[in-house]
Amino acid sequence: MLRTVATKTLFDQRRALLGWAMSLLALVGMYAAIWPSIKNQPSMNDFLNQMPEAFRALFAMSGADMSTPVGYVQVELLSFMGPMLLLIYTVTSGASAVAGEEDRHTLDLLLANPVGRGRVLVEKLLAMVAGAVLLAAVLAVALVVEGAPAGMDLPVGKVVAAMAHLCLLSLVFGALAAALGAATGHVGAARGIPAVVAVAAYVLNGLGGVVDWLKPVRQLSPFYQYAGHDPLRNGLSWTSAGIALATVAVLTVAAVIAFRRRDVAA
Amino acid sequence: MSASGTDAEVVVRTVGLTKTYGRTIALREVDLTINAGEVFGYLGPNGAGKTTTIRLLMGMLRPTAGHAEVLGHDAWTGGLEVRGRIGYLAGEPALYERLTGRQHVEYFSWLRRRDPAGDRDRAAAMAKRLDLDLSRPARTLSKGNKQKLSIVLALMSAPELLILDEPTTGLDPFVQQEFHAMVREHTAGGGSVLLSSHVLAEVQRVATRIGVVRAGRLIAVERLDTLRGRSLHHVTAQLADQVGAEEFAGLPDLRDIEISDHSFSCSAPQSALDGLVKQLSRHPIVDFSCTEAELEETFLAYYADR
Repeated sequence: MLRTVATKTLFDQRRALLGWAMSLLALVGMYAAIWPSIKNQPSMNDFLNQMPEAFRALFAMSGADMSTPVGYVQVELLSFMGPMLLLIYTVTSGASAVAGEEDRHTLDLLLANPVGRGRVLVEKLLAMVAGAVLLAAVLAVALVVEGAPAGMDLPVGKVVAAMAHLCLLSLVFGALAAALGAATGHVGAARGIPAVVAVAAYVLNGLGGVVDWLKPVRQLSPFYQYAGHDPLRNGLSWTSAGIALATVAVLTVAAVIAFRRRDVAA
Repeated sequence: MSASGTDAEVVVRTVGLTKTYGRTIALREVDLTINAGEVFGYLGPNGAGKTTTIRLLMGMLRPTAGHAEVLGHDAWTGGLEVRGRIGYLAGEPALYERLTGRQHVEYFSWLRRRDPAGDRDRAAAMAKRLDLDLSRPARTLSKGNKQKLSIVLALMSAPELLILDEPTTGLDPFVQQEFHAMVREHTAGGGSVLLSSHVLAEVQRVATRIGVVRAGRLIAVERLDTLRGRSLHHVTAQLADQVGAEEFAGLPDLRDIEISDHSFSCSAPQSALDGLVKQLSRHPIVDFSCTEAELEETFLAYYADR
Protein backbone atom coordinates (compact mmCIF):
# COMPACT_ATOMS: atom_id res chain seq x y z
CA MET A 1 0.00 0.00 0.00
CA LEU A 2 2.91 2.34 0.65
CA ARG A 3 4.56 1.92 -2.74
CA THR A 4 3.05 4.99 -4.40
CA VAL A 5 1.58 8.32 -3.37
CA ALA A 6 -1.86 7.22 -4.65
CA THR A 7 -2.03 3.96 -2.72
CA LYS A 8 -0.56 5.58 0.41
CA THR A 9 -3.32 8.21 0.22
CA LEU A 10 -5.94 5.44 0.08
CA PHE A 11 -4.15 3.68 2.95
CA ASP A 12 -4.51 6.89 4.99
CA GLN A 13 -8.22 6.99 4.13
CA ARG A 14 -8.93 3.32 4.79
CA ARG A 15 -10.84 3.82 8.03
CA ALA A 16 -12.68 6.89 6.77
CA LEU A 17 -13.75 5.09 3.59
CA LEU A 18 -14.98 2.11 5.59
CA GLY A 19 -17.00 4.48 7.78
CA TRP A 20 -18.44 6.22 4.71
CA ALA A 21 -19.41 2.91 3.11
CA MET A 22 -21.12 1.67 6.28
CA SER A 23 -23.04 4.94 6.64
CA LEU A 24 -24.21 4.84 3.02
CA LEU A 25 -25.39 1.24 3.43
CA ALA A 26 -27.29 2.23 6.57
CA LEU A 27 -28.83 5.28 4.88
CA VAL A 28 -30.11 3.33 1.88
CA GLY A 29 -31.29 0.57 4.22
CA MET A 30 -33.33 3.16 6.09
CA TYR A 31 -34.86 4.49 2.85
CA ALA A 32 -35.74 0.94 1.84
CA ALA A 33 -37.28 0.25 5.24
CA ILE A 34 -39.52 3.31 5.02
CA TRP A 35 -40.51 2.66 1.39
CA PRO A 36 -43.43 0.24 2.06
CA SER A 37 -45.14 2.80 4.29
CA ILE A 38 -44.62 5.67 1.83
CA LYS A 39 -45.74 4.10 -1.44
CA ASN A 40 -49.41 3.97 -0.52
CA GLN A 41 -49.55 7.47 0.96
CA PRO A 42 -51.07 9.80 -1.64
CA SER A 43 -50.62 12.61 0.89
CA MET A 44 -46.88 12.60 0.19
CA ASN A 45 -47.53 13.44 -3.46
CA ASP A 46 -50.12 16.03 -2.47
CA PHE A 47 -47.50 17.57 -0.20
CA LEU A 48 -45.02 17.73 -3.05
CA ASN A 49 -47.60 19.18 -5.43
CA GLN A 50 -48.62 21.87 -2.95
CA MET A 51 -45.06 23.19 -2.74
CA PRO A 52 -44.40 26.39 -4.69
CA GLU A 53 -42.96 25.45 -8.06
CA ALA A 54 -39.58 27.06 -7.40
CA PHE A 55 -39.31 25.21 -4.12
CA ARG A 56 -40.20 21.90 -5.69
CA ALA A 57 -37.67 22.49 -8.40
CA LEU A 58 -34.98 22.77 -5.71
CA PHE A 59 -35.83 19.68 -3.71
CA ALA A 60 -37.30 17.31 -6.20
CA MET A 61 -36.39 16.39 -9.71
CA SER A 62 -38.57 16.50 -12.81
CA GLY A 63 -41.75 14.54 -12.48
CA ALA A 64 -41.20 13.75 -8.83
CA ASP A 65 -43.64 11.04 -7.97
CA MET A 66 -43.28 9.46 -4.57
CA SER A 67 -45.54 6.56 -5.42
CA THR A 68 -42.97 4.80 -7.61
CA PRO A 69 -39.57 3.49 -6.46
CA VAL A 70 -37.77 5.61 -9.08
CA GLY A 71 -39.54 8.81 -8.02
CA TYR A 72 -39.00 8.02 -4.37
CA VAL A 73 -35.24 7.48 -4.79
CA GLN A 74 -35.02 10.65 -6.87
CA VAL A 75 -36.60 12.78 -4.18
CA GLU A 76 -34.99 11.13 -1.18
CA LEU A 77 -31.48 10.36 -2.40
CA LEU A 78 -30.57 11.76 -5.81
CA SER A 79 -31.90 15.28 -5.45
CA PHE A 80 -30.05 16.27 -2.32
CA MET A 81 -28.69 13.72 0.16
CA GLY A 82 -26.57 11.68 -2.28
CA PRO A 83 -24.84 14.63 -3.93
CA MET A 84 -24.25 16.31 -0.57
CA LEU A 85 -22.59 13.24 0.96
CA LEU A 86 -20.39 12.44 -2.02
CA LEU A 87 -19.39 16.09 -2.36
CA ILE A 88 -18.33 16.20 1.27
CA TYR A 89 -16.04 13.24 0.62
CA THR A 90 -14.51 14.53 -2.63
CA VAL A 91 -14.13 18.15 -1.49
CA THR A 92 -12.46 17.08 1.77
CA SER A 93 -10.24 14.62 -0.09
CA GLY A 94 -9.38 17.12 -2.86
CA ALA A 95 -8.61 19.89 -0.38
CA SER A 96 -6.28 17.69 1.62
CA ALA A 97 -4.41 16.52 -1.50
CA VAL A 98 -1.90 19.38 -1.49
CA ALA A 99 -3.22 21.96 0.97
CA GLY A 100 -3.85 19.43 3.74
CA GLU A 101 -0.37 18.02 3.48
CA GLU A 102 1.08 21.53 3.35
CA ASP A 103 -0.99 22.51 6.37
CA ARG A 104 0.50 19.63 8.35
CA HIS A 105 3.98 20.62 7.10
CA THR A 106 4.67 17.22 5.53
CA LEU A 107 4.98 18.50 1.96
CA ASP A 108 8.72 19.23 2.37
CA LEU A 109 9.21 15.66 3.54
CA LEU A 110 7.32 14.26 0.54
CA LEU A 111 8.81 16.54 -2.14
CA ALA A 112 12.36 15.86 -0.91
CA ASN A 113 11.95 12.52 -2.70
CA PRO A 114 12.33 12.19 -6.47
CA VAL A 115 8.60 12.64 -7.12
CA GLY A 116 7.51 15.69 -9.11
CA ARG A 117 4.80 18.03 -7.93
CA GLY A 118 2.61 17.11 -10.90
CA ARG A 119 2.88 13.44 -10.08
CA VAL A 120 2.04 14.01 -6.40
CA LEU A 121 -1.07 15.94 -7.37
CA VAL A 122 -2.25 13.52 -10.05
CA GLU A 123 -1.72 10.49 -7.82
CA LYS A 124 -3.66 12.15 -4.99
CA LEU A 125 -6.49 12.89 -7.44
CA LEU A 126 -6.44 9.29 -8.59
CA ALA A 127 -6.89 8.22 -4.97
CA MET A 128 -9.86 10.61 -4.72
CA VAL A 129 -11.36 9.13 -7.92
CA ALA A 130 -10.95 5.61 -6.53
CA GLY A 131 -12.62 6.65 -3.27
CA ALA A 132 -15.55 8.34 -5.05
CA VAL A 133 -16.03 5.37 -7.39
CA LEU A 134 -16.04 3.06 -4.38
CA LEU A 135 -18.68 5.13 -2.55
CA ALA A 136 -20.87 5.44 -5.67
CA ALA A 137 -20.58 1.69 -6.23
CA VAL A 138 -21.59 1.03 -2.61
CA LEU A 139 -24.65 3.22 -3.16
CA ALA A 140 -25.54 1.40 -6.38
CA VAL A 141 -25.22 -2.02 -4.76
CA ALA A 142 -27.16 -0.86 -1.71
CA LEU A 143 -30.02 0.51 -3.82
CA VAL A 144 -30.37 -2.70 -5.79
CA VAL A 145 -29.69 -5.25 -3.05
CA GLU A 146 -31.35 -3.52 -0.10
CA GLY A 147 -34.25 -2.17 -2.18
CA ALA A 148 -35.48 -5.49 -3.64
CA PRO A 149 -36.63 -7.15 -0.38
CA ALA A 150 -38.67 -4.05 0.45
CA GLY A 151 -40.33 -4.06 -2.96
CA MET A 152 -38.32 -0.98 -3.98
CA ASP A 153 -37.49 -2.41 -7.39
CA LEU A 154 -35.12 -0.31 -9.46
CA PRO A 155 -33.72 -0.89 -12.96
CA VAL A 156 -30.12 -1.99 -12.38
CA GLY A 157 -28.67 -0.38 -15.50
CA LYS A 158 -30.30 2.97 -14.73
CA VAL A 159 -29.10 2.85 -11.11
CA VAL A 160 -25.54 2.30 -12.33
CA ALA A 161 -25.92 5.21 -14.78
CA ALA A 162 -27.30 7.52 -12.08
CA MET A 163 -24.50 6.61 -9.69
CA ALA A 164 -21.92 7.16 -12.45
CA HIS A 165 -23.29 10.66 -12.97
CA LEU A 166 -23.34 11.25 -9.21
CA CYS A 167 -19.71 10.17 -9.03
CA LEU A 168 -18.76 12.52 -11.87
CA LEU A 169 -20.60 15.39 -10.17
CA SER A 170 -18.65 14.85 -6.96
CA LEU A 171 -15.37 14.62 -8.87
CA VAL A 172 -15.96 18.00 -10.52
CA PHE A 173 -16.12 19.68 -7.11
CA GLY A 174 -13.34 17.49 -5.70
CA ALA A 175 -11.09 18.57 -8.56
CA LEU A 176 -12.03 22.20 -7.90
CA ALA A 177 -11.05 21.76 -4.24
CA ALA A 178 -7.76 20.12 -5.24
CA ALA A 179 -6.99 22.91 -7.72
CA LEU A 180 -7.68 25.62 -5.15
CA GLY A 181 -5.54 23.79 -2.59
CA ALA A 182 -2.73 23.32 -5.09
CA ALA A 183 -2.83 26.98 -6.12
CA THR A 184 -3.15 28.54 -2.66
CA GLY A 185 -2.04 25.99 -0.08
CA HIS A 186 -4.95 26.99 2.14
CA VAL A 187 -7.24 24.20 3.33
CA GLY A 188 -9.98 26.64 4.31
CA ALA A 189 -10.22 28.15 0.84
CA ALA A 190 -9.95 24.73 -0.78
CA ARG A 191 -12.95 23.46 1.19
CA GLY A 192 -15.02 26.62 1.54
CA ILE A 193 -15.01 27.93 -2.02
CA PRO A 194 -16.16 24.63 -3.63
CA ALA A 195 -18.93 24.42 -1.00
CA VAL A 196 -20.18 27.89 -1.91
CA VAL A 197 -19.88 27.17 -5.64
CA ALA A 198 -21.76 23.90 -5.16
CA VAL A 199 -24.66 25.62 -3.40
CA ALA A 200 -24.81 28.27 -6.13
CA ALA A 201 -24.69 25.62 -8.87
CA TYR A 202 -27.41 23.63 -7.10
CA VAL A 203 -29.71 26.62 -6.84
CA LEU A 204 -28.95 27.63 -10.43
CA ASN A 205 -29.94 24.18 -11.70
CA GLY A 206 -33.09 24.09 -9.58
CA LEU A 207 -34.35 27.56 -10.35
CA GLY A 208 -33.09 27.48 -13.93
CA GLY A 209 -35.99 25.18 -14.74
CA VAL A 210 -38.62 27.69 -13.65
CA VAL A 211 -37.05 31.16 -13.80
CA ASP A 212 -36.91 32.40 -17.39
CA TRP A 213 -33.80 34.53 -17.26
CA LEU A 214 -31.81 31.70 -15.62
CA LYS A 215 -32.70 29.18 -18.30
CA PRO A 216 -29.83 30.00 -20.71
CA VAL A 217 -27.18 29.65 -17.99
CA ARG A 218 -28.68 26.61 -16.29
CA GLN A 219 -26.62 24.25 -18.43
CA LEU A 220 -23.46 25.70 -16.90
CA SER A 221 -24.30 24.06 -13.60
CA PRO A 222 -22.57 20.70 -12.99
CA PHE A 223 -25.85 19.70 -11.31
CA TYR A 224 -27.54 20.07 -14.68
CA GLN A 225 -24.97 17.72 -16.24
CA TYR A 226 -25.68 15.35 -13.37
CA ALA A 227 -29.48 15.28 -13.31
CA GLY A 228 -30.82 17.40 -16.17
CA HIS A 229 -31.38 14.35 -18.35
CA ASP A 230 -32.88 12.31 -15.49
CA PRO A 231 -30.39 9.41 -15.44
CA LEU A 232 -32.52 7.10 -13.28
CA ARG A 233 -35.11 7.08 -16.11
CA ASN A 234 -33.00 7.73 -19.19
CA GLY A 235 -29.63 6.20 -18.33
CA LEU A 236 -26.22 7.53 -19.17
CA SER A 237 -25.78 10.74 -21.14
CA TRP A 238 -22.42 10.62 -22.88
CA THR A 239 -22.54 14.34 -23.50
CA SER A 240 -23.07 15.19 -19.84
CA ALA A 241 -20.46 12.66 -18.74
CA GLY A 242 -18.03 14.07 -21.29
CA ILE A 243 -18.56 17.63 -20.04
CA ALA A 244 -17.96 16.52 -16.45
CA LEU A 245 -14.83 14.60 -17.37
CA ALA A 246 -13.52 17.54 -19.40
CA THR A 247 -14.13 19.85 -16.44
CA VAL A 248 -12.15 17.51 -14.17
CA ALA A 249 -9.34 17.33 -16.73
CA VAL A 250 -9.14 21.12 -17.15
CA LEU A 251 -9.13 21.66 -13.38
CA THR A 252 -6.39 19.04 -12.97
CA VAL A 253 -4.17 20.65 -15.58
CA ALA A 254 -4.73 24.10 -14.02
CA ALA A 255 -3.92 22.66 -10.59
CA VAL A 256 -0.64 21.14 -11.79
CA ILE A 257 0.40 24.38 -13.52
CA ALA A 258 -0.39 26.49 -10.46
CA PHE A 259 1.31 24.07 -8.07
CA ARG A 260 4.50 23.93 -10.16
CA ARG A 261 4.87 27.69 -10.21
CA ARG A 262 4.60 28.55 -6.56
CA ASP A 263 6.62 28.27 -3.35
CA VAL A 264 5.79 25.50 -0.93
CA ALA A 265 5.11 26.72 2.60
CA ALA A 266 7.45 25.29 5.22
CA MET B 1 43.10 24.39 -2.12
CA SER B 2 41.01 26.70 -4.21
CA ALA B 3 37.49 27.51 -3.07
CA SER B 4 35.90 27.18 -6.49
CA GLY B 5 37.22 23.97 -8.04
CA THR B 6 36.11 22.44 -11.29
CA ASP B 7 32.49 21.62 -11.98
CA ALA B 8 32.96 17.92 -11.37
CA GLU B 9 33.93 18.66 -7.78
CA VAL B 10 31.24 21.23 -7.07
CA VAL B 11 28.10 19.90 -5.38
CA VAL B 12 26.38 23.21 -4.63
CA ARG B 13 26.80 26.50 -6.44
CA THR B 14 24.63 29.56 -5.99
CA VAL B 15 25.06 32.71 -8.03
CA GLY B 16 23.41 35.94 -6.88
CA LEU B 17 20.75 33.86 -5.15
CA THR B 18 18.03 36.21 -3.95
CA LYS B 19 14.62 35.63 -2.39
CA THR B 20 12.18 38.39 -1.50
CA TYR B 21 8.67 38.27 -0.07
CA GLY B 22 6.98 41.50 -1.05
CA ARG B 23 9.32 44.12 0.38
CA THR B 24 11.01 41.77 2.80
CA ILE B 25 14.35 40.53 1.57
CA ALA B 26 14.93 37.06 2.97
CA LEU B 27 18.14 36.40 1.05
CA ARG B 28 20.29 38.85 -0.85
CA GLU B 29 22.72 37.89 -3.65
CA VAL B 30 24.29 34.86 -2.05
CA ASP B 31 27.27 33.35 -3.88
CA LEU B 32 28.18 30.05 -2.35
CA THR B 33 30.19 27.06 -3.52
CA ILE B 34 30.44 23.73 -1.78
CA ASN B 35 32.89 21.13 -3.03
CA ALA B 36 32.65 17.36 -3.00
CA GLY B 37 33.79 15.84 0.27
CA GLU B 38 33.26 19.03 2.23
CA VAL B 39 31.24 19.54 5.38
CA PHE B 40 30.01 23.08 5.07
CA GLY B 41 28.73 24.67 8.27
CA TYR B 42 26.11 27.31 7.52
CA LEU B 43 25.87 29.59 10.49
CA GLY B 44 23.71 32.48 11.48
CA PRO B 45 21.14 33.59 13.99
CA ASN B 46 17.54 32.44 13.63
CA GLY B 47 15.79 34.29 10.82
CA ALA B 48 19.04 35.19 9.04
CA GLY B 49 18.18 33.23 5.88
CA LYS B 50 19.61 29.75 6.52
CA THR B 51 16.34 27.91 6.02
CA THR B 52 15.47 30.07 3.00
CA THR B 53 18.79 29.14 1.36
CA ILE B 54 18.28 25.46 2.08
CA ARG B 55 14.69 25.40 0.79
CA LEU B 56 15.83 27.19 -2.38
CA LEU B 57 18.43 24.44 -2.85
CA MET B 58 15.72 21.80 -2.38
CA GLY B 59 13.47 23.40 -5.02
CA MET B 60 10.72 24.17 -2.48
CA LEU B 61 11.10 27.90 -3.16
CA ARG B 62 11.53 29.69 -6.45
CA PRO B 63 14.40 32.20 -6.53
CA THR B 64 13.44 35.84 -7.07
CA ALA B 65 16.79 36.41 -8.77
CA GLY B 66 19.98 34.48 -9.36
CA HIS B 67 20.08 30.71 -9.40
CA ALA B 68 21.21 27.67 -7.51
CA GLU B 69 22.73 24.48 -8.86
CA VAL B 70 22.78 21.25 -6.93
CA LEU B 71 24.81 18.27 -8.20
CA GLY B 72 24.99 19.97 -11.59
CA HIS B 73 21.25 20.61 -12.01
CA ASP B 74 19.24 23.79 -11.53
CA ALA B 75 17.56 23.51 -8.15
CA TRP B 76 14.20 24.94 -9.31
CA THR B 77 13.79 23.49 -12.82
CA GLY B 78 15.90 20.35 -12.68
CA GLY B 79 15.65 19.28 -9.08
CA LEU B 80 13.68 16.12 -9.75
CA GLU B 81 16.63 14.20 -11.20
CA VAL B 82 18.90 14.98 -8.28
CA ARG B 83 16.48 14.73 -5.38
CA GLY B 84 17.07 11.00 -5.10
CA ARG B 85 20.77 11.75 -4.57
CA ILE B 86 20.15 14.25 -1.76
CA GLY B 87 19.23 13.52 1.84
CA TYR B 88 17.21 16.39 3.28
CA LEU B 89 16.33 17.19 6.86
CA ALA B 90 13.97 20.14 7.27
CA GLY B 91 14.42 22.74 9.98
CA GLU B 92 11.24 21.76 11.73
CA PRO B 93 10.69 18.28 10.37
CA ALA B 94 7.11 17.06 10.24
CA LEU B 95 6.11 13.41 10.02
CA TYR B 96 2.95 11.53 9.10
CA GLU B 97 1.41 11.31 12.56
CA ARG B 98 -0.42 8.04 11.98
CA LEU B 99 2.37 6.15 10.24
CA THR B 100 4.95 4.24 12.24
CA GLY B 101 8.67 4.79 11.75
CA ARG B 102 8.86 1.61 9.73
CA GLN B 103 5.98 2.72 7.48
CA HIS B 104 7.77 6.03 6.86
CA VAL B 105 10.91 4.10 5.91
CA GLU B 106 8.94 1.81 3.61
CA TYR B 107 7.06 4.62 1.87
CA PHE B 108 10.15 6.71 1.17
CA SER B 109 12.24 3.70 0.19
CA TRP B 110 9.71 3.03 -2.59
CA LEU B 111 9.52 6.69 -3.63
CA ARG B 112 13.32 6.89 -3.79
CA ARG B 113 13.31 3.79 -6.00
CA ARG B 114 17.07 3.23 -6.29
CA ASP B 115 17.46 0.48 -3.70
CA PRO B 116 14.35 0.01 -1.54
CA ALA B 117 15.59 -3.12 0.24
CA GLY B 118 18.99 -1.54 0.94
CA ASP B 119 17.34 1.63 2.24
CA ARG B 120 15.28 -0.40 4.69
CA ASP B 121 18.35 -2.31 5.94
CA ARG B 122 20.33 0.89 6.42
CA ALA B 123 17.38 2.54 8.18
CA ALA B 124 17.03 -0.39 10.56
CA ALA B 125 20.76 -0.27 11.37
CA MET B 126 20.70 3.50 11.95
CA ALA B 127 17.60 3.27 14.13
CA LYS B 128 19.35 0.68 16.29
CA ARG B 129 22.40 2.90 16.53
CA LEU B 130 20.33 5.92 17.58
CA ASP B 131 18.20 3.78 19.90
CA LEU B 132 14.99 4.55 18.01
CA ASP B 133 11.94 2.28 18.04
CA LEU B 134 10.61 2.11 14.46
CA SER B 135 7.42 0.28 15.40
CA ARG B 136 5.74 3.25 17.09
CA PRO B 137 3.45 5.72 15.29
CA ALA B 138 5.08 9.11 14.82
CA ARG B 139 2.49 10.88 16.95
CA THR B 140 3.59 8.94 20.04
CA LEU B 141 7.27 9.85 19.65
CA SER B 142 9.02 12.49 21.77
CA LYS B 143 10.56 15.51 20.05
CA GLY B 144 14.01 13.91 20.22
CA ASN B 145 12.78 10.64 18.76
CA LYS B 146 10.95 12.45 15.96
CA GLN B 147 14.26 14.17 15.15
CA LYS B 148 16.01 10.78 15.12
CA LEU B 149 13.43 9.36 12.71
CA SER B 150 13.80 12.40 10.45
CA ILE B 151 17.58 11.89 10.46
CA VAL B 152 17.17 8.21 9.59
CA LEU B 153 14.87 9.13 6.68
CA ALA B 154 17.39 11.69 5.38
CA LEU B 155 20.37 9.35 5.59
CA MET B 156 18.90 5.92 4.79
CA SER B 157 19.34 6.06 1.00
CA ALA B 158 23.09 6.77 1.31
CA PRO B 159 22.79 10.04 -0.66
CA GLU B 160 25.76 11.88 -2.17
CA LEU B 161 24.79 15.16 -0.55
CA LEU B 162 23.22 15.77 2.82
CA ILE B 163 21.34 19.03 3.34
CA LEU B 164 20.57 19.27 7.04
CA ASP B 165 18.79 22.21 8.62
CA GLU B 166 19.63 22.40 12.33
CA PRO B 167 19.98 18.61 12.59
CA THR B 168 20.91 18.32 16.26
CA THR B 169 17.93 20.25 17.63
CA GLY B 170 16.36 18.30 20.47
CA LEU B 171 19.01 15.56 20.53
CA ASP B 172 20.75 14.66 23.77
CA PRO B 173 24.59 14.83 23.80
CA PHE B 174 25.11 11.09 23.34
CA VAL B 175 22.88 10.99 20.26
CA GLN B 176 24.56 14.14 18.94
CA GLN B 177 27.92 12.34 19.12
CA GLU B 178 26.51 9.34 17.32
CA PHE B 179 25.02 11.63 14.69
CA HIS B 180 28.35 13.41 14.18
CA ALA B 181 30.01 10.02 13.77
CA MET B 182 27.44 9.17 11.08
CA VAL B 183 28.18 12.45 9.29
CA ARG B 184 31.92 11.68 9.38
CA GLU B 185 31.31 8.21 7.95
CA HIS B 186 29.25 9.83 5.20
CA THR B 187 32.13 12.16 4.22
CA ALA B 188 34.71 9.38 4.57
CA GLY B 189 32.74 7.61 1.84
CA GLY B 190 33.08 10.68 -0.42
CA GLY B 191 29.79 12.36 0.52
CA SER B 192 29.28 16.08 1.05
CA VAL B 193 27.28 17.90 3.68
CA LEU B 194 25.60 21.26 4.13
CA LEU B 195 24.79 21.69 7.80
CA SER B 196 23.08 24.71 9.27
CA SER B 197 23.13 25.87 12.86
CA HIS B 198 22.80 28.97 14.93
CA VAL B 199 25.62 27.89 17.26
CA LEU B 200 29.20 27.45 16.16
CA ALA B 201 29.94 24.89 18.86
CA GLU B 202 27.57 22.52 17.08
CA VAL B 203 29.28 22.61 13.69
CA GLN B 204 32.91 23.11 14.70
CA ARG B 205 33.27 19.41 15.47
CA VAL B 206 32.38 18.30 11.96
CA ALA B 207 32.66 21.26 9.56
CA THR B 208 35.64 21.90 7.32
CA ARG B 209 34.42 25.30 6.15
CA ILE B 210 32.02 27.75 7.63
CA GLY B 211 29.79 30.36 6.04
CA VAL B 212 28.13 33.05 8.08
CA VAL B 213 24.79 34.48 7.07
CA ARG B 214 23.34 37.54 8.70
CA ALA B 215 20.22 39.47 7.72
CA GLY B 216 20.02 37.63 4.39
CA ARG B 217 23.64 38.19 3.36
CA LEU B 218 26.51 35.74 3.30
CA ILE B 219 29.05 37.87 5.16
CA ALA B 220 31.96 35.49 5.52
CA VAL B 221 33.21 32.12 4.37
CA GLU B 222 36.23 30.74 6.22
CA ARG B 223 38.05 27.48 6.58
CA LEU B 224 37.66 26.25 10.11
CA ASP B 225 41.43 26.08 10.64
CA THR B 226 41.77 29.73 9.54
CA LEU B 227 39.17 30.63 12.09
CA ARG B 228 41.02 28.59 14.71
CA GLY B 229 44.21 30.55 13.88
CA ARG B 230 42.34 33.67 14.77
CA SER B 231 40.97 32.17 17.92
CA LEU B 232 41.02 34.65 20.74
CA HIS B 233 43.05 34.10 23.88
CA HIS B 234 42.31 35.76 27.18
CA VAL B 235 45.61 36.99 28.58
CA THR B 236 46.01 38.35 32.11
CA ALA B 237 49.24 39.30 33.84
CA GLN B 238 50.21 40.64 37.27
CA LEU B 239 53.35 42.74 37.02
CA ALA B 240 55.80 43.93 39.65
CA ASP B 241 55.88 47.49 38.32
CA GLN B 242 53.72 50.05 36.51
CA VAL B 243 52.60 49.33 32.99
CA GLY B 244 51.30 51.92 30.50
CA ALA B 245 48.76 51.57 27.67
CA GLU B 246 51.12 53.22 25.16
CA GLU B 247 53.45 50.22 25.34
CA PHE B 248 50.92 48.11 23.43
CA ALA B 249 50.20 50.62 20.65
CA GLY B 250 52.41 48.61 18.28
CA LEU B 251 50.17 45.57 18.64
CA PRO B 252 46.94 46.51 16.80
CA ASP B 253 45.32 43.04 16.98
CA LEU B 254 44.79 43.25 20.72
CA ARG B 255 41.25 43.79 21.95
CA ASP B 256 39.63 44.84 25.19
CA ILE B 257 42.85 46.00 26.85
CA GLU B 258 42.40 46.78 30.53
CA ILE B 259 45.25 48.20 32.55
CA SER B 260 45.28 49.24 36.18
CA ASP B 261 48.57 49.80 38.02
CA HIS B 262 50.19 46.42 38.07
CA SER B 263 47.63 44.32 36.27
CA PHE B 264 47.05 43.83 32.60
CA SER B 265 44.39 41.92 30.65
CA CYS B 266 43.32 41.67 27.03
CA SER B 267 42.03 39.38 24.32
CA ALA B 268 44.48 38.47 21.59
CA PRO B 269 44.31 36.30 18.48
CA GLN B 270 46.80 33.46 18.37
CA SER B 271 48.94 35.33 15.85
CA ALA B 272 49.48 38.27 18.23
CA LEU B 273 50.59 36.21 21.23
CA ASP B 274 54.29 36.31 20.42
CA GLY B 275 54.49 40.11 20.29
CA LEU B 276 52.35 40.44 23.38
CA VAL B 277 54.45 38.10 25.52
CA LYS B 278 57.67 39.81 24.40
CA GLN B 279 56.26 43.20 25.34
CA LEU B 280 55.01 41.97 28.73
CA SER B 281 58.33 40.30 29.56
CA ARG B 282 60.01 43.70 29.73
CA HIS B 283 58.34 43.88 33.10
CA PRO B 284 58.95 41.56 36.01
CA ILE B 285 56.01 39.15 35.92
CA VAL B 286 54.31 38.03 39.14
CA ASP B 287 51.53 35.95 37.58
CA PHE B 288 50.47 35.11 34.04
CA SER B 289 47.60 33.24 32.44
CA CYS B 290 46.53 32.61 28.89
CA THR B 291 43.33 30.71 28.06
CA GLU B 292 41.78 30.06 24.69
CA ALA B 293 38.31 31.51 24.30
CA GLU B 294 35.41 29.50 22.94
CA LEU B 295 35.38 29.63 19.16
CA GLU B 296 31.98 31.21 19.53
CA GLU B 297 33.49 34.30 21.07
CA THR B 298 36.13 34.57 18.37
CA PHE B 299 33.42 34.35 15.89
CA LEU B 300 31.32 37.08 17.39
CA ALA B 301 34.37 39.33 17.74
CA TYR B 302 35.04 39.07 14.01
CA TYR B 303 31.60 39.07 12.55
CA ALA B 304 29.35 40.88 14.98
CA ASP B 305 29.65 44.25 13.30
CA ARG B 306 29.90 43.27 9.65
